[in-house]
Amino acid sequence: MGLYVWRSWLSLGLVSVLLFPCAIAQNGDDGAVKEFQGRIDNYLSAKKKQDIAKKPTDSPSKLAQEKEQTAEKTKKARPEAQRGDIFTPPVAAYFKKQIESTLQGPEGEKVRASLRHAEPLPNVQLKVNAKYPKNLPLQSTPPTLLMNLPPLPKGLQYRIVGSTLVLYDVSSGLVADFIPNAVPAA
Amino acid sequence: MRQSKPAIYRNAVFLVAVCASALAGHFAKAQSGSTLAAKFGPSIALQQGATAGKLDIRIPLQDKSVRFAVIGDSGTGDRAQYEVAQRMEAYRQAVKFDFVIMLGDNIYGSHSPKDFVKKFEQPYKPLLDAGVKFYASLGNHDDPDDERLYKPFNMGGERYYAFRKGEAAFFALDSNYMDPKQLSWLEQNLKDSQGTWKICFFHHPLYNDGRHHGADADLRTQVLPLFQRYGVNAVFSGHEHVYQRIKPENNIYFFVLGNSGKLMTHDFGATKDRVKGFDTDQSFMLVEIAGGKLYFQTISRSGETIDFGELPRLHP
Repeated sequence: MGLYVWRSWLSLGLVSVLLFPCAIAQNGDDGAVKEFQGRIDNYLSAKKKQDIAKKPTDSPSKLAQEKEQTAEKTKKARPEAQRGDIFTPPVAAYFKKQIESTLQGPEGEKVRASLRHAEPLPNVQLKVNAKYPKNLPLQSTPPTLLMNLPPLPKGLQYRIVGSTLVLYDVSSGLVADFIPNAVPAA
Repeated sequence: MRQSKPAIYRNAVFLVAVCASALAGHFAKAQSGSTLAAKFGPSIALQQGATAGKLDIRIPLQDKSVRFAVIGDSGTGDRAQYEVAQRMEAYRQAVKFDFVIMLGDNIYGSHSPKDFVKKFEQPYKPLLDAGVKFYASLGNHDDPDDERLYKPFNMGGERYYAFRKGEAAFFALDSNYMDPKQLSWLEQNLKDSQGTWKICFFHHPLYNDGRHHGADADLRTQVLPLFQRYGVNAVFSGHEHVYQRIKPENNIYFFVLGNSGKLMTHDFGATKDRVKGFDTDQSFMLVEIAGGKLYFQTISRSGETIDFGELPRLHP
């Protein structure tokens, strides 16, 4: 009986030792995701106070005007915005890890191929709270990658520009934040 | 038969007069065309020529069939786009298609109000005036916010949407951003659809022999199982600036049409997936769905039929 109890405790101890790093990583990931979602909520609530309810229209002039107004108001809602406000270091580390594991996963080669087939990139300078560079095509974001990143509310999208992961605000056309060198070289 | 000298002179004078009159007419026409073009853009100047001549029609024009045109990568605002649009209008008058599906890159470059006019409203004005509806899907050069809200694109304010025409159900997808939310929407809508034909259209091709972009294998991994499971019959994509009819895969017909404005000449690599390819001029498609068959005709900017056929529905 004593031997049985001793063995059970030993097994439990071994299992705990083996699982402990994973548990820490899991908690770390959960924390990063939670932090990211909190920052997205803050971004949207600041923006919502200023937002314009856009409706379909026949007038391209109205569309252009509304987009300009949305961009101006979004900029004003976060005048001190800088890189890393949303993708904080722990959040950025989490995203880099997710991207890397997607690229090393079973669909990794297809994801890489999809990124390789993008339009050639001109020399672009991304800036937080500034317009996504004019005439730069929006590279499609591989679906398998999107499955491995936290979901975003309507109006925000992940975009890949070269090796940079961009958080793109669709309604204002602004760069909300970005992570340079998020996509590791092949 | 011999002619007298005065008769020869009379004929020569007549011949010279006829030639002079024809040349004068030609220059007058060219002049008026270029003046109009300078004033209103190329559409007006081209209008006279595009409708001239007999049209080659290879679709059956059956009663109560669903007829539509297809364009992809159209929005350049260049002369070639206008010429394709003129050719489409000539066919519309004969074939009576009442809607057009757009495979993305509807407006290239900047998206100022002027661009919407120059790259869409003006070239397709005769079609729009005739009540033809355009249903757009988004390409990588499109502005997803402006275009989903632009009423003439009939997107209902959404990046992806579905609509029904007769027995055919259409699903316009946003292949730039195929997130899990869109995939579940697609699954639910394909599952619920009562259309006997299910047609999906979006920008990035799942199969593609073109060298510029190639096939989007990652997108294929995610959407093809849904297409198979829920009986999609035909898929239209753009992105590669050529025309391709792809070998049917999993009982689904695939077309790539990315040359209604942009063109990538001599873009084909080895024949892998295509049955028919065309990469030397711009083109558009006419499609007719009647009962269990899909009829198609692909027409070049110059009016040549470059591909046509009838395809039975392979899914029940």
